[in-house]
Amino acid sequence: MDSMVRNPDVKQRDAAQAVVVAVSSDAIFDPEVEQVHGATEPLRKGDAFSFMKAIQVVNERLLTMNSDETLLFDVILLSNDSEEKHSRIIASAKHYGLDIGRFCFCNKEDSIESLQSNKVKLFLSTDTKDVCKALQKGVPAALLFRQTDPHHQTEDQLKVVFSGDVIGSSEEMLHGLREQGFTETQLQGFKTAKGSVKEFAVLMGEMRRRFGLEGSPLCTGLMTVWSSRDVCASALKTLRGWGLLVDEAFCMAGAPRSPILNLVQPHILCLDGLYHMEGFTAMS
Amino acid sequence: MSEIKPTDQAATNAGEEKDWAAAKAFFDSLKTKKPRPPKPQYAVTIAVSSRTLFNMVAERKIYEEEGVEKYVTYQQEHENQPLMPGVAFPLVKALMTVNSRLRQLYPDSEELFDIVLMTNNHAQVGVRLINSINHYDLTIERFCMTGGQSPIGYLKAYMTNLYLSKDGEKVTEAIKEGIAAATMFTSGDVENQLSDTQLKVAFDGDAVLFSDESEIIVKQCGLDMFFEHEQEFENIPLKQGPLKCFLEALGKLQRKFYAKNERMTCPIRTYLVTARSAASSGARVLKTLRSWGLEIDEALFLAGAPKGPLLQKIRPHIFFDDQMFHIEGAKELGTIAAHVPYGIGQKYHKGELIEQTVKDVKDKK
Repeated sequence: MDSMVRNPDVKQRDAAQAVVVAVSSDAIFDPEVEQVHGATEPLRKGDAFSFMKAIQVVNERLLTMNSDETLLFDVILLSNDSEEKHSRIIASAKHYGLDIGRFCFCNKEDSIESLQSNKVKLFLSTDTKDVCKALQKGVPAALLFRQTDPHHQTEDQLKVVFSGDVIGSSEEMLHGLREQGFTETQLQGFKTAKGSVKEFAVLMGEMRRRFGLEGSPLCTGLMTVWSSRDVCASALKTLRGWGLLVDEAFCMAGAPRSPILNLVQPHILCLDGLYHMEGFTAMS
Repeated sequence: MSEIKPTDQAATNAGEEKDWAAAKAFFDSLKTKKPRPPKPQYAVTIAVSSRTLFNMVAERKIYEEEGVEKYVTYQQEHENQPLMPGVAFPLVKALMTVNSRLRQLYPDSEELFDIVLMTNNHAQVGVRLINSINHYDLTIERFCMTGGQSPIGYLKAYMTNLYLSKDGEKVTEAIKEGIAAATMFTSGDVENQLSDTQLKVAFDGDAVLFSDESEIIVKQCGLDMFFEHEQEFENIPLKQGPLKCFLEALGKLQRKFYAKNERMTCPIRTYLVTARSAASSGARVLKTLRSWGLEIDEALFLAGAPKGPLLQKIRPHIFFDDQMFHIEGAKELGTIAAHVPYGIGQKYHKGELIEQTVKDVKDKK
């Protein structure tokens, strides 16, 4: 079971209307190698910091346009840390002024259940395995992309990139992949992932439409890694059908994706089939 | 100008190999059997903008007069209407012809032309662009739609050997970043008169293939000094210019045809079209090319005569020159000309120093 702690410093959102995003505490705060008992200083910033700042920018802009806006990001910090660290986590969030609505403390084994019971719209982690596990259990999840390049980091715009190889592939094409060595488990995984991506894409589409083409604090993109241009075009139209008109599109057709991702520096990378590829790493 | 492809071609990481293998598997599984794009580190990558590939003059007008939202809406409304070919279209078709010939001779080689659509258009406009590419059955599988951001950073990420755009500012930026680039202009309808079996590329010499070091002498000291200097330094190779690496890449592909006894029917032909004269300043140019191990099929020394009429006879798919004066002359007679904004030539027009530089000096004060 989990224990939910509300953050008194942050105005609570209407969870039914908001985009509830659960972020693992190891991403927000640097997981310390040594547990120093009784330490009270704020924890060091983790990989998710520019993401947290970017989300705040989006929320602020939405509220400026409409003070009664309910389609806002509502962040839950998900922690599997030991009890003695709980208060330090809450204090650190306060110290950095992070827009975290609730803290959810639970055991690692209960994480999935917590995510499901809190009707999380997206679970974010820097750990591909955690993302995979969640997706396999039907919890919408995405990779929090490690922004390693300080020159290209963005804190004033939230960047969300969707991968489109599976979204844009027809049933026939996916069948064809079977002959090329993809296993049944992988192919089944693609189908599950497609479903969960849709829900989040619909929400992003709605939020994106609150802003104009230029000067939007939310930027959405699509990338296809191994497919042809037609699959990318099909993915563009599918996303459009779900209400999401992406700003950027990249069709790699086998060319290395990392240099492009390192330039785009997305905060959220919604994988459909990519993660199932053996050896995929977020930071190649 | 440094070589943009990695010198150690075998150095790809495991992640990249997986992506490549998946793409290979995907294209092999397609029923339509369209050619798979080559591995970027072995290919000659040419990035074209949407406005050079297709004629988007009318759409551009909407963008400039009515703004981006109306422009994107217009493009979406006309999504299923293919765009008309643009100024780089004949070049792209010629590149595809060379690729077919290469694939016939070397079925397993990745040393091919790789054409990438590089545009700062919004991704929603992309649907019309892809539909248009489909309509003409162009082998362009890779694209980058940056939704308003400058595409310059992406050029390096795609290991671009040559970037073609209508936007002079982007081209200038690319050249500063060490990427061969040129600005294309709309020309008359010459498509029907161009060869469809041989790619023809014409280059100016100074400040295009070579640095502008000699150009500077002409502009600042006059022709006589220039001739003296070039003869004195005949055996000292000139330094590289922005398009040297591209000529080198073309040469590498040409040699693949020669190796299969296809020299006479080689589908790539290169031309040097220079204002230099053979007698007084031409030797240094030829010796420089030789020192670089580069061949050029035809070297034409005009000794100051206009380039237009000669280019009209050659009918290249593209002609690169650093001076707008020559670009205008070429265009007037129907040649597809591309401006290379590099070197001292940018400060002069028809031999006269442009007011602009005087203004810059004033501004700095």
